[in-house]
Amino acid sequence: MDHPAPTTANHGLKEPQKLCFETARTRRLVLGSYWTIIILAFPFWWNLTSIERIALPSYRVRAQLDRKPVFPVNVQLDASSFQGSAPTFGRALHEILAQTTQASPTWRDLDIQVGVSEHAGDQSEGPNVYSVVLGNHTAVRHPRQLVVSQEDALSALRLGSILSRLLAPEITSMQAQRIAQYTKRYRLAFTLLNENAASPHLVNSWDIQAAFAGKFSRFIYHMFPIISRLNLLHNFTIESQVQYHAPLAFEPLQFVVANNTLHGLTPEDLTVFINSAEWTLSSSVSNDPVLHFVLFVPSPALQPLHILDAHGLPTSQNAFLLPQWGGIFILNRHARAETMTHLTAADLVPVFSAFANQLSALLGVPPLPDGVKSEESSLLSDWQLDALLRYRTSENILGSQQTLYSIIKLVDQIENMPVDQTVRGDVHDALTALGEAHRSAVGSPATALQWSSEALSLASHAFFNPGMLALLYFPAEHKYAVYTPLFASVSVPLIVALGREVYGWRRERRVVRSG
Amino acid sequence: MGRKTAAFALSLFVAPVISSTGNTSDFKTHFSIAGERYYEDLVIQPLRDGRVISTFTFTTLLEGVSPRDPWDLETPALHLFPLTLGQILREYSITELHLSLNAGKWNYDNWGYPEDPSVSTGAELWAWMADGGPMSIDERWTGLRNALAGLFCASLGSLDSRRTSSPYSAFPLSSVPSPKIGIPYALRYATLPSEHVCTENLTPFLKLLPCKSRTGLARLLNPQHVFDADWHGLGVHVRSTESGVELRLSVQAVLDPVRQSGGKRRDWSFQILFDRTIDAACPVSSWSTARVVVSNDDGYTLSPELPMGDESVAMYDLASQVPLDISMSWPHEHTFPFPLTPPSPLAPLSIKRALHGSSQTHGVLSVALSNNEHGDITIGYLETLPALVTLWMHTIKVEVRGTRRDDLISDISYHPPLLQPNGHHGPSMLQVKLTVPAKSTLRLSIDVTKAFLKYTEHPPDAMRGWDLPPAVLFPVLVDGPVKHVVNDSFVDGIDSRDGYQTIPHRMYTPTLLVDLPTPDFSMPYNVIILSCTLMTLIFGSIFNLLTRKWVIVKVEE
Repeated sequence: MDHPAPTTANHGLKEPQKLCFETARTRRLVLGSYWTIIILAFPFWWNLTSIERIALPSYRVRAQLDRKPVFPVNVQLDASSFQGSAPTFGRALHEILAQTTQASPTWRDLDIQVGVSEHAGDQSEGPNVYSVVLGNHTAVRHPRQLVVSQEDALSALRLGSILSRLLAPEITSMQAQRIAQYTKRYRLAFTLLNENAASPHLVNSWDIQAAFAGKFSRFIYHMFPIISRLNLLHNFTIESQVQYHAPLAFEPLQFVVANNTLHGLTPEDLTVFINSAEWTLSSSVSNDPVLHFVLFVPSPALQPLHILDAHGLPTSQNAFLLPQWGGIFILNRHARAETMTHLTAADLVPVFSAFANQLSALLGVPPLPDGVKSEESSLLSDWQLDALLRYRTSENILGSQQTLYSIIKLVDQIENMPVDQTVRGDVHDALTALGEAHRSAVGSPATALQWSSEALSLASHAFFNPGMLALLYFPAEHKYAVYTPLFASVSVPLIVALGREVYGWRRERRVVRSG
Repeated sequence: MGRKTAAFALSLFVAPVISSTGNTSDFKTHFSIAGERYYEDLVIQPLRDGRVISTFTFTTLLEGVSPRDPWDLETPALHLFPLTLGQILREYSITELHLSLNAGKWNYDNWGYPEDPSVSTGAELWAWMADGGPMSIDERWTGLRNALAGLFCASLGSLDSRRTSSPYSAFPLSSVPSPKIGIPYALRYATLPSEHVCTENLTPFLKLLPCKSRTGLARLLNPQHVFDADWHGLGVHVRSTESGVELRLSVQAVLDPVRQSGGKRRDWSFQILFDRTIDAACPVSSWSTARVVVSNDDGYTLSPELPMGDESVAMYDLASQVPLDISMSWPHEHTFPFPLTPPSPLAPLSIKRALHGSSQTHGVLSVALSNNEHGDITIGYLETLPALVTLWMHTIKVEVRGTRRDDLISDISYHPPLLQPNGHHGPSMLQVKLTVPAKSTLRLSIDVTKAFLKYTEHPPDAMRGWDLPPAVLFPVLVDGPVKHVVNDSFVDGIDSRDGYQTIPHRMYTPTLLVDLPTPDFSMPYNVIILSCTLMTLIFGSIFNLLTRKWVIVKVEE
């Protein structure tokens, strides 16, 4: 690499150093332009190969996490009923109610005010105003009125406990486990199952159509009012079918009581009662969650089939509930004519009253407190419906807050999870809906429920966005492996040339300085 | 004509027998649920080569119900009609639905016409839908496909727009309730020849029956034996008739007792064929019958003794004859003499279809139709091919005995593969009317080019090739244009006039396997590596040229 002295160039060839393209300046320009292009291209490359991660409104989500809806409830004591003692009575009631709501985890967000009104016995003014009047016996009445008997009205403690169980019914963890998750749409699938069709006990048809159409008034009394009142919360679609061969997957326990062979289902049997491999209990035409109601007719060999308690003794119950799944009624035919093949709407009354109770339990309808009757035409009083609305609303709000928080946490944790515009839009919309739910909780629980369910579905939609999984399983190492043959072999001469040029330049500088 | 009568004996005799049983009052079970009727039927037909065709038909009639208007939303209470299928039909407002899942190639020459004409290899689905309502026809078709795929565990979801066409004349709407005649109807038809039917399809199929496979004729449907058959298939047919919606579930199987007995005897019984007998009748069926088609040759013994019927059909009623194990034996035969000389074909037409050509880009589709009758036969010919192959219409050629006969082909209509909004090509559809002269073979040939597919469009097992759906021969009105077609009902006669005739039912040709240019699937990586190396080489040399320092080296002598 030594530069030959120009004086020795007497071979007739042109001196390479003198060529215009062979000067050190040109070479450095060429090398510099290569590096300039690479440096300029780098941001583009970085941008094009990076994963799209739009910032989520995590601050708003965290702020939302601490918000709780407030449901104002205004209880008005009828001034004429309670006479002069009303204000003091009201204060005592308020204290009791405030204590109970503070003590219960579910109803902490209930803001109960007790007042005295001249016209409490008349029409109530708003959706959150409840009135208490004196009457002959304790009962609830439309619209949002509680009639209290004289003896119940004597002590504030007694009335307070009745009111707190109406406004803030205690939901035990066992009851809460039974309640199906809230959705806007439910399908109710009614199935008549014959364990063995080749038997004289075959029930081949039931009058469910007539019952639904409202041709039998007593039946309507049970099932239909619940469904029609709950239309405020859910949309129901109903389907029914009959199956003729529905074998059990296990052998029921056999035991002898007073020379009679009986068959029984132990509590363990009840948990595996549904033979989902052989029974097709609902159609799969939509994705709405299904609540199943099964009327099971055991084969003659198994009749009568009893439900046993924990000690192995037969109980008088013949219906049981599977949490969040549905209800089952076992129809023993021993009392009836053995060759009856059709169940009329009258035969179905006990069955459907059991189904109605099961439906209420599955959807979280709080029962009326002991000693309180209903004077309303429907089975479901305004008090119960309002309590259910408030329960579902706070459940939904809590659910959507947690889902949104999970999204934020997940996106923070996994760094190559893409977050696109739709996820952000959903999160934004869910937050807006949550805000609306909080705002409307003050006015109308029904509107608050609408907004909260909207928020919940938007939050789940964002959480389950398929785009967020797209690049999780395609790590960047694969790309590097494929492109190493290009990048490695291109970068080596570039770096070496740069290094050599820098070295040459520094040596020149040293020569110039020393010379 | 005599041979044809034998071939159609089955279908001609079914009608009077059924109508007479409907009137007889000596049935033990008078089962009826208001508005719903269920009946089952088994036809067993021994063949000349020792095989036995058994056809199970389970019919549910939902009386007084018309297919749902696309606008209408009420839910009925169902007893006998399967809810899972009923809800699908309601959800997508299906007027008529035909689904068949078959395995094997139906041998028309030796087996004659099948009871259920849908014998195309693989999956075939076609549906008629009334237009209107909030969902478009194509949305409903997609929904129907996916719902049926879920219900029957079959890959019907892949019957997408690349395979869907609307051949109105070959698959006519069988009947419409009279108040709905004014509504426009649309047809969607798709086939998936590579679909294979197996136990996972039969299990959900049996769940649609009111008695499952526990009692009644369905007791015989033992998967191990049904799927061991030479040919087996499941069919779901929903039609709306004047009396209501009719669901017909059918299982057809061509079983071979000769093979099971080690090539010795052709005796059969339920026990031999299915390894099961019928213990009890299905209690909810209005009637269940088992019928045996007996041939004219003597020497057989039928057990139990012939109860009713005539010399061509032996009929058993399950209501009075359970437990039942029908057996048919030839006691005087030491070993079954297999017909060595090929017997005369049972169907009027023999079909051959092949794809010739050794190259991966071009080929010739050729179809040979042999008329076994003494009169000319006119048929419609339908070819629905996915865009994998392109037909060249100018090369269409019809030959009889080596001479071109363009007069035998008429009413040609061709729909080229259309590019759809989703970027895929739809299938091409060729429909012609052919007249096959008496006792001769018509050869139709047409040039095709094979598509060059994108790397990602190949299936997992790309080297196997692509299945092409079968062509369909369908009956036509002899004088009129192809559009007017005889009613596709289960029982109807031959449409014949003045020496010209057509076929009574659809016939399917065998499927084809097309060999497309298949890439080496490790190719992308090889290409990346190779192009990287090339680029590096070029880059390196140019870079060196540009930045190298040239010096003159004096060589010391």
